[in-house]
Amino acid sequence: MHNIAVHQQSFPVQPAQRFLVFRDMAIIAAAFLALSLFTPLYWLTDFAVMCILVLSFDLLYGYMGHLSFGHMLYFGAGAYMASLALLHLAPNPFLAILAGLVCGAALSAVVGFVVVRTSGAAFALVNLAFNQIGYWLALSGLQDYTHGEDGLPSSVEALWFLDFRQAPVAFGFMLVCLLLVFWLLKTLTASPYGIVVRSIKENEDRVKFLGYNTFRYKWLTFVISSTLAAFAGSLYALVKGFVAPSDVNPLENTRIIFSVLIGGAGNLYGALVGSVAFEMISNLLATTIARWEMILGLMLLALVFWFRRGITGYAYQLYLDRSYERLVKFAQGMGLSLRRQK
Amino acid sequence: MPDLISTSKLSKSFGGLVAVNRVDFQVPEGQVAGVIGPNGSGKTTLFNLLSGYFRPTAGSVRFLGKEVTDQPPYARVGMGMARTFQLVSVFNSLSVWENLVLSSFHRRQQGSRLGSFFFKPAREASTLADCRQALETVRLQDKAGVFTSELSYGDKRMLEIAIALSLQPKLLLLDEPLAGLSDHEIGEVLQLLHEVKDNFTLVIIEHKISKITDLVQRLSVMNEGSLICEGEPGAVLCDPNVRECYWGRETDAC
Ligand SMILES: Nc1ncnc2c1ncn2[C@@H]1O[C@H](COP(=O)(O)OP(=O)(O)OP(=O)(O)O)[C@@H](O)[C@H]1O
Ligand SMILES: [Mg+2]
Repeated sequence: MHNIAVHQQSFPVQPAQRFLVFRDMAIIAAAFLALSLFTPLYWLTDFAVMCILVLSFDLLYGYMGHLSFGHMLYFGAGAYMASLALLHLAPNPFLAILAGLVCGAALSAVVGFVVVRTSGAAFALVNLAFNQIGYWLALSGLQDYTHGEDGLPSSVEALWFLDFRQAPVAFGFMLVCLLLVFWLLKTLTASPYGIVVRSIKENEDRVKFLGYNTFRYKWLTFVISSTLAAFAGSLYALVKGFVAPSDVNPLENTRIIFSVLIGGAGNLYGALVGSVAFEMISNLLATTIARWEMILGLMLLALVFWFRRGITGYAYQLYLDRSYERLVKFAQGMGLSLRRQK
Repeated sequence: MPDLISTSKLSKSFGGLVAVNRVDFQVPEGQVAGVIGPNGSGKTTLFNLLSGYFRPTAGSVRFLGKEVTDQPPYARVGMGMARTFQLVSVFNSLSVWENLVLSSFHRRQQGSRLGSFFFKPAREASTLADCRQALETVRLQDKAGVFTSELSYGDKRMLEIAIALSLQPKLLLLDEPLAGLSDHEIGEVLQLLHEVKDNFTLVIIEHKISKITDLVQRLSVMNEGSLICEGEPGAVLCDPNVRECYWGRETDAC
């Protein structure tokens, strides 16, 4: 159409490097294996599940800019549904995971239709309201199924080599699941869809003028994020063999939000670093200090005032500053002077 | 030529303020139309009604022969309407090329492309080819990898126009594309508009009338929400009513 003669100049965008995601997956696996040298395996199994949950939250909050106080609803729904499948259908782990996924997807598809109409504070609070309802259902509304406060025990049958009672097996399985989720989210966020999600964060109205029905994309992102949370929930039910209302407790959302803030939102790595850091801190502090939540409060203050972009954001900034200094030195060596912008 | 877009008794009020008042506005296909008028006369509001940003208080909008008054913005874009904003509006948190993936990918996306929409890296060559072409049109190809927040205002304006062009519109609405630009940048934008104007119908709001008189074939003048005069630019600018409201006094240029 618009054919205008211009000089053919280099296009400074590097082509996609598809293998990079596999390099990252290898690094994650290596980091977990390194941690296993001095951390109990059952801790790391929990960490991996938490990582999945926080990764799923990062898609919604970090990428699309929608802060939810109700993400635990889907974690809990997945956990309960997986346990119910184990109890009433068959003690097969894959069936349980499937049940958890279907439950999370169906629930979030319906709830999403309502919550995605809001944004900002309203979005956070409407989600909290749904989470409260879910909590109440687990405690009393559906206690015929959930056994209320007593919780729901379940057991998985060993399938081939897959015996969740063996710590290394459970850990290995969760790690593989984590890598799969990471691959999925990394791929989704690097695709054109990922750009749409990020653009909605900045200015949803403007995206509509590029021809996107933003409601659809917000709904879809909500469903993907919630379904992955339900995935984490069903994995949790498998390794714990027990689900209780505290696993749907809306207060637990602070753990997720905390983790993503500590690590840095909107880049996936932050979610991983943040959840491991948060779990480490809370596990270690809880055994040494009686009122450890107070330390968490102080950390949150530090985050808000000094490290807005979390550990990964801070590290990236350091990296940028360093490489900028290197550039300045190099230029000076060439007899040039670069002035710092901004 | 049939009208590409037309309105009938289109009105919009904000509280007691009537920003657009029973406007009948038509643009025939292929035309370059200009809209002028003093500050606050309702030009931007008219664009917002045409593009679906606001629902009109009364009246209707037809586009491509179809009634679109109740269609949301994205549906109108899908039909072939693109616009820019008075205050440049691009995505500052994305890089320049990502801005263009956003606009150019969607246009090409058909059912079979769904897989690549979700699972193919946006940096894939096929997507980037479109971006490169769009950027070359506005001569920003050297800044493809830059964060949009680091662009100058003029470059952002160029990028916004490139985004609009990459939607391959049938109708392009430009809201004061020259505002806030240096003389040099104004020259570049005008040159670009001259190059591409034959590909679509163009409606342009502009304060600097002298800059666009050789671009537009027809001028519409708004004042206090109403269209007060329409026609060939030379004649419109000599109309006593227009001179009265626009310059507030009689001048003797005509
Ligand atoms: N969203 C809104 N809410 C309330 N009033 C509005 C809104 N948008 C526009 N107005 C009012 O409507 C009137 C017309 O505004 P509009 O922006 O359409 O004028 P304009 O012709 O584009 O002016 P300018 O040349 O300054 O861009 C103004 O009085 C403005 O204050
Ligand atoms: Mg205006």
